[in-house]
Amino acid sequence: MGIEGLRFPLADLPPETETLRAEVRDFLAEERASGGFEPHCDAWMSNWSPEFSRKLAARGWIGIMWPKKYGGQERSALERYVITEELMAAGTPVFAHWLGDRQLGPTLLNYGTEAQRELILPRIVKGEIFLAAGMSEPDAGSDLAAARTSLKRSGDGWRLNGTKVWTSAAHLADYIIVFCRTEAQDPNHRHAGLNQVLVPMTAPGIHITPIHLINGRHHFNQVVFEDVEVGDDQIIGEIGAGWKQITDELVYERSGPERYLSTFPLFVAFIDKIRRDGATAAQTAMAGRLTAQYWALRRMSLCVVSAMAAGGLPNTEAAVVKDMGTRFEKDVIDAVRSVLVARPDAGSSDDFEVRLAEAILASPGLTLRGGANAILRGVIARGLGLR
Amino acid sequence: MNDIRVMLTETAEKLFTGLATPEVVNASEQGVWAANLWQAVEAAGLPRAAVPEDLGGSGGVLGDAFAVVGVAATHSAPIPLAETVLAGWVLSSAGLAVPDGPLTVVPETRGDAIIFTPADGGGWRLTGTARHVAWARHAHHIVVVGRDGDDVRVGLVKAADCDIQTDVNLAGEPADHVGFGGVHVAASDGGAAGASVTMETLWEMGALARTVQMAGALERAFALTVRYTSERVQFGRALSKFQAVQQEIALMAGEVAAAGVAADAAVAAAEKGAATQAIAAAKARVGQAAGMVAASAHQLHGAMGFTQEHSLHHSTRRLWAWRDEYGSEGEWAEKLGSWLVAQGGDGIWPFVSGSRAGLKE
Repeated sequence: MGIEGLRFPLADLPPETETLRAEVRDFLAEERASGGFEPHCDAWMSNWSPEFSRKLAARGWIGIMWPKKYGGQERSALERYVITEELMAAGTPVFAHWLGDRQLGPTLLNYGTEAQRELILPRIVKGEIFLAAGMSEPDAGSDLAAARTSLKRSGDGWRLNGTKVWTSAAHLADYIIVFCRTEAQDPNHRHAGLNQVLVPMTAPGIHITPIHLINGRHHFNQVVFEDVEVGDDQIIGEIGAGWKQITDELVYERSGPERYLSTFPLFVAFIDKIRRDGATAAQTAMAGRLTAQYWALRRMSLCVVSAMAAGGLPNTEAAVVKDMGTRFEKDVIDAVRSVLVARPDAGSSDDFEVRLAEAILASPGLTLRGGANAILRGVIARGLGLR
Repeated sequence: MNDIRVMLTETAEKLFTGLATPEVVNASEQGVWAANLWQAVEAAGLPRAAVPEDLGGSGGVLGDAFAVVGVAATHSAPIPLAETVLAGWVLSSAGLAVPDGPLTVVPETRGDAIIFTPADGGGWRLTGTARHVAWARHAHHIVVVGRDGDDVRVGLVKAADCDIQTDVNLAGEPADHVGFGGVHVAASDGGAAGASVTMETLWEMGALARTVQMAGALERAFALTVRYTSERVQFGRALSKFQAVQQEIALMAGEVAAAGVAADAAVAAAEKGAATQAIAAAKARVGQAAGMVAASAHQLHGAMGFTQEHSLHHSTRRLWAWRDEYGSEGEWAEKLGSWLVAQGGDGIWPFVSGSRAGLKE
């Protein structure tokens, strides 16, 4: 039964998570009431608030799965899921701590040295430092293995040279984990010679240039590394093992509820607006149709996280949920427009019009970041045994 | 999945693989009742898996019965297994024993109403017509849900006592019209419907059955597509080596996976009671998947898949028929939408997340 190569056994959250969910909802209600944040589309990617991140840290909600000796609470992936989905649904500005909590901390836990873990993890948990990930390059986007940033031996240490692009939050981060090569790419062994190194943003030789997007946002950057000195103690994991490390990291990156909830604040505003103005049959049917998809996507997302909580790395399933989720969060935009006439306007007094403008201008990125969807479908095809 | 369910589905898988072959499905469409198949299904206790033991069943839960319904649908099994499960749910809710033999339930078409009139000497006389009733011509008994004034009643009648006009659905499955011109229901064969059975919940359970069936048929349409594209060679290689084909299969896989999860989640909600919105969401979502996957499956099978001879149509015609039975995607979307709009924007996330934790009620 089921599909060969794809496992989505129905998963439920343990009943104990209800208490945690209620706490998060209470926190969010207080923050909204006191003006601590406004819900926005794509806020998790576009809206940076160290202050908001520190409030979450004060509640113990960053790095909650990590060992207690690093300041974590050793709580489960399912508990983390409850926190993240509540933050996503509410459109909160969590961007500052997101990468560290979601994937870079786990990379250090899985592959880093004890010294690296002690240096970095407790400060992520406290919201004191924020991390960036240097992965893509001008000639290495979907084809990440084509990365050319080089790590060359120099005396007792190494020198890092190269250019990274689409580096989220590099301009605000304290550390960056850089994906780089110790050997030039061998066409017969494309994934050999890759590594990850931990670099403080204060290191001499790092030059950051902002990349401005069509929606007026700046969260991506170009980061140039010019003879940046790297010590042996900054190498994460084994030399040459970077490809395995980063593909594991990508499962964390791709598996979360942010992958279908980026435009949820728009949908909420849509419901409020049609209720206020008297919903037509077409609007009502669209509300039901889109909610049915949200409901199904969430259940699929929960399957993936449950599999990870049980110790698996469901690479194919995560790709399915990310491909479907990101296409859907984009489709929501034209779906609501098809039944409700409004002017997308970031300066409007109408919430729906503001969120419509945000969503439209963020829309191209939804299916590009974290793996362009055509690439994800290639991952799925491989998981199905077609490639 | 619990152990009982694993065992039931493994038994079902073996049974249907052996006895619900494409030849049997084709023969059924020509009017041949799949007697061997039904006998084997009944001998394995599958139709009454969720009926309490004291009413003739195995005492399992709804999810056990629906799991087997899904396997049957994967094999396009031409028997009223889903209908017998529904009938069993109706009868056992009313404290009535569930008889042997294939059963079906009425009404199946929106707007059809069967009236129960108390009869002199006890029991009731039934009047009314039920249209497009699945498998009525092969059922031994028909389970009727109707009204006596404002009260919902259930009754068991012999199919032979009813007037049956044959008809079929798009998949060539029997979908007959049943006339109840004063048919008598003995007092011991009927009574008040159980608390969980109303005209609305009957409609919901029917929709749930079709949702589970579509999820099963989707798996078969997908498996056939993977197999065909791996075997069919054009331009010097298997179709599955072309990126365009891989991309479309990847999209199909997502839809099939979504349908399976949605169906499972709706069944789980139904086991807990109060599952109207979950069933609405699932039927809408799975119906949508059915359309997309049926279209892609045929596209990737090329001309061969469009023939009678190839068995793809056993699955795709069922998908096309079942998505419009017990309410289409559009109808369920509108019903769900009405409920949601009444909740307002703040009510969406509690529904999607399945939790009202922390809300001030």
